[in-house]
Amino acid sequence: MAKRKQSSKALTAKTCRQMTDLVLGYLTGKLSPNVKREFEQHLAVCPDCVNFLNTYKKTVAVTKSVQQKDLPARVRDNLLTFLRKRMRRLGAVLLYIVTQIAI
Amino acid sequence: MMRLEQPEVLAIREEEMTMSACETLMAPNPASANVSALSLKSFAPRRPTKRRKSAQDEARLIDRLKAGDQDALEEVFNLYSAKLYNVALRILGDAGDTEEVIQDVFWMAYRKAKSFQGNAQFSTWLYRLTVNAALGKIRRSKKNKEVEYEEFLPRFQKDGHHAVRPVVDWSDTLDEKYTSREVQRLLGKFLDQLKPIDKSVIVLSDLEGLSDKEIAVALDLTVSAVKTRLHRARLFLRGKMAVHLGYTAA
Repeated sequence: MAKRKQSSKALTAKTCRQMTDLVLGYLTGKLSPNVKREFEQHLAVCPDCVNFLNTYKKTVAVTKSVQQKDLPARVRDNLLTFLRKRMRRLGAVLLYIVTQIAI
Repeated sequence: MMRLEQPEVLAIREEEMTMSACETLMAPNPASANVSALSLKSFAPRRPTKRRKSAQDEARLIDRLKAGDQDALEEVFNLYSAKLYNVALRILGDAGDTEEVIQDVFWMAYRKAKSFQGNAQFSTWLYRLTVNAALGKIRRSKKNKEVEYEEFLPRFQKDGHHAVRPVVDWSDTLDEKYTSREVQRLLGKFLDQLKPIDKSVIVLSDLEGLSDKEIAVALDLTVSAVKTRLHRARLFLRGKMAVHLGYTAA
């Protein structure tokens, strides 16, 4: 416990709360060199934040690994049929308008 | 606690994509007036020459679409339908609703193609039409449940330390306990508990690989708001996984 207290005192100005707010910037390399150094100094003395970072990274990795679903052939056919019908109808309407104007 | 910089619900007009919304996205921009500058960033091959050719092909395709060429719509459909279907399906979670949304999106793309002026990438414009249509569908169906994130976000003491210590690293436990298919199913369930706009951000960012800037354009948010929503949504998903594994979200 005493060791933990000593570690906490050795932290930079960054608290665990601030670390949580900075984690997105850290992972995308958007932190300024100074803030990044402070972030890593905090990680060096705070196992809780290391564990938090690992679980955050795991969450992102799992989310990014979500597999795409194929567009089912039946749905694809339905969609194309719908669009073709709509286009035909629109074409017929336009043709009617042009004919009326010509008359 | 991070504060959201935007209203909880994206202010989209009642119609999924009104002309004015289209015009905002597609307003003339001298810096990007050259249509050939458009590129299929998310879909294009990596080699520069091929990318250039692909960009030229796309510019020609858009011109044909604007001219009302029906074959052009089918080509656009063939290029983008699978991607947009996935985006809509992830946001809506229902195959029937997704089919309706996608047919509206392509029809809207055909009817409103003329207002596309190349201020954003064509793919971003299509993403925007899709997300707006999906969010509109959710709003109208009133299936949108109010989700309380707080319980699943990290908590802190007054001095800024984690409220519950030690924080457990369960990243390996997840793989030990579940197959990747089970993890995917679990994540799908948790994704569905996100607010629709946050889910849209996650889908476009982590699943589709769009940049924060592209997402901001597609969702009509600031880049800063995109980052805030992305981070908060990830914290929520992290918390849900932790609790599912028997640990505290804090």
